[in-house]
Amino acid sequence: MKLIELAKVLRSKNAGPLQVTVDLMFADSNAFEIALQSEALTAPRVAEAYGVSPSTVVVIPFRAALAIKVVIDRPVIAGSPGDTDVYGAQQHKPLLEIEL
Amino acid sequence: MTAMAALLKSGLGPGKPMRVLAASGQLGYGIPEAAFRKGLAQNPHIIGCDMGSIDVGPYYLGSGNLATAPSITKRDLQLVLLSALDARIPLVIGTAGTAGAKPHLEQTLAMIRTIARENGRSFRLAWIPADIPRDLLKSMIAAGRTQPIATMPALTEIDVERAKHIVGQMGVEAFIRAMEMEPDVIVTGRACDTAVFAAAPIMLGYPIAASVHMAKIIECTSICCIPGGRDAMLGTLDGDSFTLESMNPARAATPLSVAAHSLYEQADPLSVYEPEGMLNVGEAKFEAIDERRTRVSGATWHPAEQYTVKIEASEWVGERAILCAGSCDPRVIANSAEIVSEVRKIVNEIVPPTGDGTYDLFFRIYGENAVSLFPTQPKGDAAEVFFLVECIASTAELARSVISVSKQYLLHHGFAGRLSTGGNIAFPFTPPELPAGAAYRFSAYHIMDCDSLPDLFPVHIETVTSDSAA
Repeated sequence: MKLIELAKVLRSKNAGPLQVTVDLMFADSNAFEIALQSEALTAPRVAEAYGVSPSTVVVIPFRAALAIKVVIDRPVIAGSPGDTDVYGAQQHKPLLEIEL
Repeated sequence: MTAMAALLKSGLGPGKPMRVLAASGQLGYGIPEAAFRKGLAQNPHIIGCDMGSIDVGPYYLGSGNLATAPSITKRDLQLVLLSALDARIPLVIGTAGTAGAKPHLEQTLAMIRTIARENGRSFRLAWIPADIPRDLLKSMIAAGRTQPIATMPALTEIDVERAKHIVGQMGVEAFIRAMEMEPDVIVTGRACDTAVFAAAPIMLGYPIAASVHMAKIIECTSICCIPGGRDAMLGTLDGDSFTLESMNPARAATPLSVAAHSLYEQADPLSVYEPEGMLNVGEAKFEAIDERRTRVSGATWHPAEQYTVKIEASEWVGERAILCAGSCDPRVIANSAEIVSEVRKIVNEIVPPTGDGTYDLFFRIYGENAVSLFPTQPKGDAAEVFFLVECIASTAELARSVISVSKQYLLHHGFAGRLSTGGNIAFPFTPPELPAGAAYRFSAYHIMDCDSLPDLFPVHIETVTSDSAA
């Protein structure tokens, strides 16, 4: 199953100028548990999808909101020369194709 | 009696519901008036507005300019100021003028004085600058009392000297000092978003955990609702719990939507760090009161042993010029990487970056992975591409020269198999080369120890009268 078939929201945004955070939100606890237990949403696999070092990725589940947060170090500080997405709102795409 | 004096003498405190109206999460983009008026009708004890953010990038902190349009900013300030004065409710505005440095605070205060003069109002105004003295920051660096956040490099004296503006985020402590001076209106430089809304409840004795947690949610107004929006949000604090309600009846604060808001723009959804301590929301409970209101409780507050202040600075990196052009020629698109690489070489020969005349040249090809920050996105199969060519140079004249040469060679570059010898690119308008002003970068995003918050964030008091000069 693809993550986008299960997730209700899949969004990215800066969390401060140094990190981009991707929020995966689910409609019910069943969907949340499936995603949480998937190997595909571990830090090493997410790092692989983004082409970055696993040490720059953190995955944090937040059960109260039926959500999983992925935090990735930005390769460029927000708004510095060479940045492509100052708000970080378009950095969720590598997770769209993830198979759980 | 001022609005704040009246609130302090009202006997409001834990056990009695305190109503905090969050009028705006980013004042200056147009406050939805109907919901704000509905919020006023709920008789709030205090009105708060956040006016800034670091999210918009380093330009505003660097340049001293506001991100919001002056006319809309004045409209919003007038709406909240006159409403608060008429109803005798204290008004608190945090992070004035987008970035909250001296020029941002001064422009915001000037607008407020102008509004007072134009509308014949007099009131007591407290304002708090957030600029960090360079000597203090240098001494803190020397003493090893600054820490980088996340991936920032260690702060240096050179960073401090080069910075255009340096601000620190004040917390509830500064707002409470201002409130003790009993103003009608408080306007601050850079501040924690939460402090704007949490200070008054904490001052009146409400639990810190509930006060800060409520502030953390309502500082974005109705974004915590389904559907999310920018309408005013009412937080009602009872003691250890609080209730949330959007002032737009079309928006519902549900347990799930409110809980999910903890994720928004936060690296760690469970912890919120403030100068005076840390809020943990890991055990928070969210219960529906009805379809549109949610009660929240259970966050915990952990006081800090050492006060710390988050420091932000922005430095000038050059002057920017850009070129806008597109192409729909399949051969140009297929060969774009090679074309750009060769044009770059030619530009370097014609305008060699030497001595003080240095520049960076960026070719962004939209339609071919210009948006992703990360390397794994496949190149597109686009029918059209957009070339955004950007130069950041040591002078505006040099940036213009580089962009001008880039334009002409991109237009006429000959490549193997080229058919379109009239030109490789289409210009949407003339001139397609545009000066884009100064470019900046964040040069500090660090935590600094602070031994005396009152010295760092001094409160100024003035009486604004209808004939005050702006």
